[in-house]
This record gives sequence, structure tokens and C-alpha cells, in this order.
Amino acid sequence: MSHQTLALFVLLSPLVAAVVLFIVAPLRVRGPVSAGITIASTAISLGASVMLAMARMFGQSAPNVDIQAAWLPGGGKVLSTVGVYVDPVAAPMMVVVALVALCVQVYSLGYLGHEPSRDRGRYFAYHALFAFSMLGLVMAPNLLQLFLCWELVGLASYLLIGYYWTKPSAGQAALKAFWVTKFADMGLMLGLMVLFVKTGGFDWTVPPGQVLMTADAEVIAGLLFLAVVGKSAQFPMHIWLPDAMEGPTPVSALLHAATMVAAGVYLIVRAYPIFSLAPTVLTFMVYLGAFTALFAAIVAVFQDDIKKVLAFSTCSQLGYMVAALGTGSMVSGYFHLTTHAFFKALLFLTAGSLIHAVHSNSLHDMGGLWKKMKPTGVLLIIGSLALAGFPMTSGFFSKDLILEELLHAGHIVPLIAAIAAAGLTAFYMTRVVMLSLFGAPSEAAEHAHESPAVMLAPMALLGALALVGGLLHGDFAKMAGAEAAFHITPVGIIATATGLTGIAAGLWRFSPGKRAAVGSQWVSAPMRFVTWLTGNAPVDRAFALFYRRVMLTAAAGVAWFDRYIIDALINLSGWAVLKGAERFRRLQTGRPADYIYAVIAGLIALTAMGVM
Amino acid sequence: MSAFDALNGVEILAVDGIVAVGALGLLLADVAMPAGNKRILGYCTLLLLALGFTATFTLDLTGTALGGAYVGDGFAIWCKRIFLAAGFFGVLGGMDETARIGPRRQGEYYQLLMMSLLGMTLLAGARDLILLMVSFELMSLPLYAMAAWGGIGTYPKRKGPLPSMELPAKTKWHRPAEAGLKLYLVGAVSSVVALYGISLLFGIGGSTRFDVLARTMNAGPVMSLAVAMIVGGFAFKIGAAPFHMWVPDTYQGASTPFVAFLSVAPKAAGFAALVQLLLGPLAGHTDTWMPLVLALIIVSLLVGNLMAVPQQNVKRMLGFSGVAQMGFGLMALLAAGTVAHTSGQKSEGLATLLFFLAAYMVANMGVFFVIEAVAASGRTEDETADEKDSDDTLAVFRGLHARSPGLALAGLLFVLSLGGIPFAIGFWAKVWVLLGLWTAGYGWLVVLAAALSAAGLFYYLQIARSMYMTPEGDLPKVTARMELGLAILLLALLTMAVGLFPGPVMEAARVAVGLG
Repeated sequence: MSHQTLALFVLLSPLVAAVVLFIVAPLRVRGPVSAGITIASTAISLGASVMLAMARMFGQSAPNVDIQAAWLPGGGKVLSTVGVYVDPVAAPMMVVVALVALCVQVYSLGYLGHEPSRDRGRYFAYHALFAFSMLGLVMAPNLLQLFLCWELVGLASYLLIGYYWTKPSAGQAALKAFWVTKFADMGLMLGLMVLFVKTGGFDWTVPPGQVLMTADAEVIAGLLFLAVVGKSAQFPMHIWLPDAMEGPTPVSALLHAATMVAAGVYLIVRAYPIFSLAPTVLTFMVYLGAFTALFAAIVAVFQDDIKKVLAFSTCSQLGYMVAALGTGSMVSGYFHLTTHAFFKALLFLTAGSLIHAVHSNSLHDMGGLWKKMKPTGVLLIIGSLALAGFPMTSGFFSKDLILEELLHAGHIVPLIAAIAAAGLTAFYMTRVVMLSLFGAPSEAAEHAHESPAVMLAPMALLGALALVGGLLHGDFAKMAGAEAAFHITPVGIIATATGLTGIAAGLWRFSPGKRAAVGSQWVSAPMRFVTWLTGNAPVDRAFALFYRRVMLTAAAGVAWFDRYIIDALINLSGWAVLKGAERFRRLQTGRPADYIYAVIAGLIALTAMGVM
Repeated sequence: MSAFDALNGVEILAVDGIVAVGALGLLLADVAMPAGNKRILGYCTLLLLALGFTATFTLDLTGTALGGAYVGDGFAIWCKRIFLAAGFFGVLGGMDETARIGPRRQGEYYQLLMMSLLGMTLLAGARDLILLMVSFELMSLPLYAMAAWGGIGTYPKRKGPLPSMELPAKTKWHRPAEAGLKLYLVGAVSSVVALYGISLLFGIGGSTRFDVLARTMNAGPVMSLAVAMIVGGFAFKIGAAPFHMWVPDTYQGASTPFVAFLSVAPKAAGFAALVQLLLGPLAGHTDTWMPLVLALIIVSLLVGNLMAVPQQNVKRMLGFSGVAQMGFGLMALLAAGTVAHTSGQKSEGLATLLFFLAAYMVANMGVFFVIEAVAASGRTEDETADEKDSDDTLAVFRGLHARSPGLALAGLLFVLSLGGIPFAIGFWAKVWVLLGLWTAGYGWLVVLAAALSAAGLFYYLQIARSMYMTPEGDLPKVTARMELGLAILLLALLTMAVGLFPGPVMEAARVAVGLG
């Protein structure tokens, strides 16, 4: 099969699945059928993606696949195209998306096995939609298609967060995620408009022979970055991500850890030719990313809900990626995106396995699960080590690369923040491991069972990748034309030492003997204040205040204008139309003779006009 | 010049030949077949039309024939495609209704349809006044008979070789007859007028050939009179106000699948004739005809949109909305005329017109077929449309989304397309027309047209509201018969596919008019 065909398969198979499931209701309401269609389509995508990626990585360099169809013509000129585009940048992301999606879908078979068949059918239809939109985003040949798929991804996220639609909190979380990211998406839309005005197209590269002024590039990159802040949950728009944990855990693993939130980072990677022309935005990215990394790591330490720990951890890790991209090193950020996708998806799936066993998200309700659930426990430890950057795991390679780039670029304060965050990361993950696996068993944990094989198998696959994924660093380095990227440096040694210290501190603080260590009761009163300050509450409140004071006031003014001016005009014109129509209507008598008179009258009028 | 010279290049009439031979073949087959249900003839017609449609792509139809009286160019070929496609869908969607109205006599309907199509395809290539007028009449005359087709009614069921010629005692079928009569009376007057205008052209120019006329005619009062008569006469056929009076009555009275055909194919043919004349021999006299076209546009937009609002009968409403749509078509002609006036070239405006006609065909036929599907499911074998007077009021669509989700969705798509909502095919048609008009310098007209088509959404969306937002009550479920359902499905797919990817089709239209 030619690469063109393969690339089309990657995108079209989930599209077909989604369209079929959304249109043909009898298939959608049957859970197993819907699951089968979705999983088969994702497996096809994965197979084709792997074949495409193999030919572009590991020293191979097949030519880019570039199929574009004219779209949006205007005045004899094509404004934009849609299609599929596979180059060495898109290929690894395609594999990551398809692979994690497949793992999560298979896992969901077990995790949602008790749900009504009808609901499962709906769930898998959403998954097919997500797979199509996300792959369409990754394989977009220009930023306009990327934007369209970006919005579709947002829709899929909304639907999946709100999956438990009978739960009011799930509905609210879905709405919150939708509004926050939509607000940020305005940046992407405006950015694209400016881009179009300045370059006459939606390409992420500046057309040859054209110069993009730095000031323009700053504006475009700044607007695009606003969308990234929303989608990739950077401070202060991270507030939607912890709430999004109301969705089913596999959804959190796929969308809110591995792929969708990484779309923001991918946007920067894709539009790097534009970002690299905007030094101010890049510097801002470094500081905001490092701040988010540290801030979210601090918050994560104080969470009792295992998914919330992981959610804040995701914010923190996305902060690393943003900071890395800000240093001018596309590769380190992109590489961390890939390894993070593996180990964070793994962590969410193991968390889901624990939640499945004790029917609670709270770390209080876990404890002592190591004895009941050895395979899940081993995988949780693997994921935690990778996240903590334990030597030779995948996270170790990618995180060290980022820190090194921060040093090279001379950003010392962000570097210190990032190293501190690395220590905290190791600490909070050790806390999760110790409390859930080795803590005092709770009542619920007494009856816990290991999850079925259909859940363990995808976890094991991701676990293996979390361990060895670091070996890919050479291939990512070649993407940017550099030599093998990784080597041991002083920064790396310091960071690793910090991480190990964090692990040691966690082991000491939460060792099984210390009963008081369960939950957040271990936090002293001043620390509780810190928890409140760093938690979602203040940021939420600030947004709420802004909404109430500024937006609602403005909206009230607009509403008044709309009601008393615009509506009045519209009602007036409607009334005039109806009255006028009544008049005209009398002319339509139904008598043929009258019609012929009308023809003749019209002719006389035309002739009179013509002759005069 | 020997008699055979006239036959040079006659191979470009291949498509017309297929239609002509097909029409005669159908006649023969109809006579030769034993009495009974002659539905098979409908399938034969479909096959012939599909063959002709394919031939427009596979054969090289460009060139000149009949000593220059007939020309095959991109514009003509594209028009033929529209006619043949409209004929194809008209036959496909109307097969059940045609068979129901007269199972034994349906062959006649298909012969008439093919004859009418022959007139259209010839018209598209005519470059001679006589050929133009003859093919125009060849197109029109069968239509009058077809409009009254339902009026013949079902003959009383009885065995026998030939149906009786007297009408059954229960003559309840006056509606289609009335529709046919009105179409004929107004049509005859208009044809006379157009013919008189054309004979004046001959008088001024001294030839029937367009290329000669373009050189020899001089502007003057006589030409103004001739142009007014030509524009008025053809405006009847496209149903532009104030020559639109027949439109709502005929639409309401005639059988719905026929209206689907009548509302698109002859209108496209009328436009082809107008383009042939106004941008052919009269291209140098835009000063004479553009004000008239402009007047037609304004009156059509106003009358069509305003009159459609209070209508309760969907077919009547679509009739008036069609008048407004024709205003849009004329706007494309106006834009083309402006360019011809300033630079003497064929232009984007023509390509826009072609695209507009195709888009209008797809969406308008679709919406009529949806009406037919809903109405037909409530009909019994012997009942005619006339007996159920409430057949096609807005009320029949109540809660259609629950009674037939697929039909409702297709209906919504067509209505949105007609209303010009993105991303349906009609949106692009409107955008291009307005864009072309803007470039041609008619900013004020663009504003007027945009405002009126926004008002047009009001009545288009009434259909959608009836389908989606009113409870279905005790109305029965609806299932479209196979052929009709297939026609709706194909049209819906076209509406959506071209709506999402308008580029290739528009490009093809531009190539057809010689813009690369």
C-alpha cells in the first residue's frame, strides 16, 4: 500500500466509525457493537500510523505524505485546503494518539463493563469522534484544518466529561471545561485571522519570499499561545482540568493526560516556524511554563483524590513542555510530550484500576492494595518512577533534556523552579504509591479484586513503553537535525538527585508505620492556608468576579440595546413585510386573464423603460 | 455549399441524438408493449438519461455544426448536464406517482419528458434565432401537457385493449388541469411576445445567425422594443416577476414530482436562452438590456420574498421563493453583463450562474421530493392528490423528525441550502453571486439581496420548524418508496458533499466558461 493510502486510512477509518455510529442508531445503542466498530477502526489507524512512522523514524526518511483538496474557494482562488499531511513531526504524534486511544478503548471494555449497554454505545461513539478529530488535528496540512479539528476535539472532550450525565457535577465540569477552553480558543481564531491578513494563507511556515515582521509574529504567536494556555491547562486557565476528572477515568487518561491537553503543545510544535520569530512570546512561555510546573506540583502534594493528584501533575508536566518549547528547543518539549503520554496514560489507567477495585477516588479509601492487586501495583510503581524521572525510565531522559535546555538558554530562575518541581513530583507520587498500595487497609480495600485482563493488558503495554520510551530520544533529536540528544550533565545529576531525595522523603514520611499520615490531616494549619491559596478556589473566584462584574454588566447593556432597539426594528420590519405581503397577495387572483394582463402590463413597463 | 456541408460536425449533437432517439424509441416501445403496468419504460428513460449524462463527459462535444447554427461549448455542455440530471432525478423521484396516476399510460409521460429535454439540450447550443425559438417551443409544449398530467386522472379500472376516451363521471381532477391550462395560456402569450421580439431582431440585423447579428444590429428604439419583448418573454419561462403569475398556481396544482422538474430544468433553459441572446448578439448592447434585467431582479426579489411569507401551502410558498431565487440567477447574469460591457469578455458571472443553477436544481428538487414523500405515504391507491386538499400544507410536516428522521434531516438540509446557510451547496451559490455583483459595482443591490434573503430564511425555516419543533400528534410514520428515497438520498449527498467541498465544482464551472 502506498503511503498516501495508509495516511488516508489513518484518518478515514475513525471518521467512518464515528459517522456510522452517530447516524445508525441501532448500532450505537448496542454497547458491544459500538465498541467493536470503534476499536477496530482505531486499530486500523494505529497499524497504518505505525507503518508510516517506521518509514520516517529510526534513520529512515520516507518523503512526506501530502494530500490536499481545495476547500473554501473564493473569487477563483483557493483560500485553504484540507487533507492529510504526514512528516517526521506528525508521524510520532499519530502513533501516540492512536496507540493511547486503542489502549484506553480496550481498557474501557472492562472499566465500563457494568454500565448499561446503551450508555457504553454512546461512549464508544464519542471515542470514535475523538480519535478522528485528534488525528485530523495532528495530520492537518495547515492551521485552519488544525483549528477545525481543535474545536471538534473540544466537543468530544465536552461530551466525554459529561458522560455521567445524571451527575450534576459532571455536567457542570463539562460546561466549565467547554467555556474555559472556548474562551482561550478565541485566541486561536484571532491568531489565524491575523496570520491570514499578514501572509494570505493558513500555513505554519511563512511562504517563501515573504517576510513576517517580528511585531506581527509576536501578535500571532501570542494569540495562538492564548489557546495553548487554555487547552494545555496552564496557569491561570488550568482550573478546568481538575474538574474534568468527573469524566470516566479512561477518558481522563486519553484526553486529559495523554493527547488532547497535549494538543496545545503540539500546536506550538507545528507552528514553530512562527513561534521562533517571536522572542518575547517564547520568553513568556518559559516563565509561565516553569511557574505552572512548580505551582501545580505544590498543589498536587495536598490532594486526597488520586485523580486530582494526577490532574495537577498533568498541568505541571505540561508546564515543563511549554517551558522547554520556550527555550527554542522544539525537540525536548515534543519528546517529553511523547514520554509523558505513555506514563501519564499508564498512571491514569492504574488509578482507574484502583478506583474500580474500591469504588472511590479518595486515597483514604485505598491502602494495602498491594496485597490484593500486585500487577496493578507494579504498573503504578513503574508509572510513578517514570514520572519522577527515575534513572533510565522514559521520564528521566525527557525531563533532563528539558532542564538542560533551560540551562543552555540561560533561564536560571525557571530552571530552579523546574528542579524544585521535579523533587515535588517525586514526593507526591511516592505519597500516592505509599498511601494506596502500602497504607493501612481501609474497609473498602478489604474486598478489592484485581482488575480483569482486558484492563491489565493495555496497562502492561503502556508500562513497557513508559520504561523504554526514553530510547527514542535519538530519533527525536534527528527531527531537528541534531545529533543524539542525551548525555549526562551536571544539571541532570542535580535533578536526578533532587528526584531521589523526593522519593526518599516520601518513603520516610508516608511509610506504613505512620498511621497519621493518611490523607491531608498531616498538613499543619499554615500549610492548609497554602493549600487553599494554591488550590482552585482563588482562581475560580477571580474568574467569577470578573464574570459577574465586568462581563455581566457589559452583557446587560448589550441586552438592553438588543431588546429595545434591535428587536424593535426587527419587529417593525416583520410587521411591514406581513402587511405588504397582504397587499401583494390580492394581485394573485387565480384568474388566467388577470395573469395575462400582468404579463402585458409588465411588458409595457419594460418597453417603456427600454425606450426611454 | 452542398446540402451535405450542413452535416459537418454533426457528431457534437450526440447527446441530443440520444435523447431524440430515446424519445422515439419510448414511443415505439409503448405502442408495441402489451397493455398493463408500463413501469419498465420509466427505467428505460432513466437508463437513457444516464447514458446521455455520461456522454457529456466521455464524448468531445465541442465544435460547430449545422452550418454554424449550433455550437458546442463548455457552457452548452454544462447546461445539458443540468437538464439531463434534472430529468434523471425527475423521473427517478416521480416514478411511483407517475405509475399511480396512469399505470398504463405512463409511457406518454416519459415521451413528453424526453421531448421537452430534447428541446432544452438543443436550446443550449442554438446560435440561430430559428433554432432557438423552435427548440424553445419543443421544450415548452410537452410541459403544458405534463402539467395537466394528473388531470387526466386514473381511468376507471376495467379490462380491455384501449382505455375509454371519455372522462370518468367523477371529475375531481380539476387541479392539475387548471395548472396546465394556466401554464399554457400565460406561456403562449409569452412565447408570442418573445417570438415577436426575435422577429424584430431579424428585421434589424437581417439575419437569423447570432454571429451576423452581432455585427449588423444597431441600437435604436426598435431594438429597445425587441429587447424588452425578448427579456419579458423569457422571464416568463424562468418565472421572474412580474411574469411569475403562473408559478404558484401551477406548482400547487400539478403533481409534485413534475413540479420538481418544472421548477428547475425549464428555468435553467430559460437562463441558457437569455445568456445566448443577451451575451451573444446583444453583448454589445448592454446599455439596452441591463436596466431591464435590473428591474426584473428588484421586482423578483421583492415579490418573491414578500409573497412567500404568508403562504400556508408549501408548494405555493416554494413557488414564490423560486421567484426570489430567479432574482439571484439574474444577478449573476447582470454581473456577467457588466464585465462584458467593460471588457468585452466572458466572465466569472457566467460560471457563477452555472453553479447557481446546479445548486438550485439539487436543493429545490430535493425539497419537492421530500414533500412528495410525506404526501405520498398518506395516499391510497386510487386517490389523487386533489382529494386530499391538505396534502401539502405546512401542517403535514408536523413532527416529521419523529415520523421519519432521515426524511426530516434531508428536508432540513435542502431548506438550509435554499436559504443559503453554510455549509450547504446553496450557500456558496449565493456567496458567489453576491461577490460577483459586488465586484461589478452593485453594492446597494448586494445589500438589498442579502437583506431580502435573510427575510427569506423566515419562510424557509418555517418548514424546519414544522418538522422539528412541533409535536407529531397522531400523524403516521412516513417511509419513502424506494426510487423516491434513492432520489432524495442522492440529492442530499450532493447538497452536503458539494457544500463541504465546493471547490472542484466551481472550478469545473469556471473551466466550462473558458476561465482556467
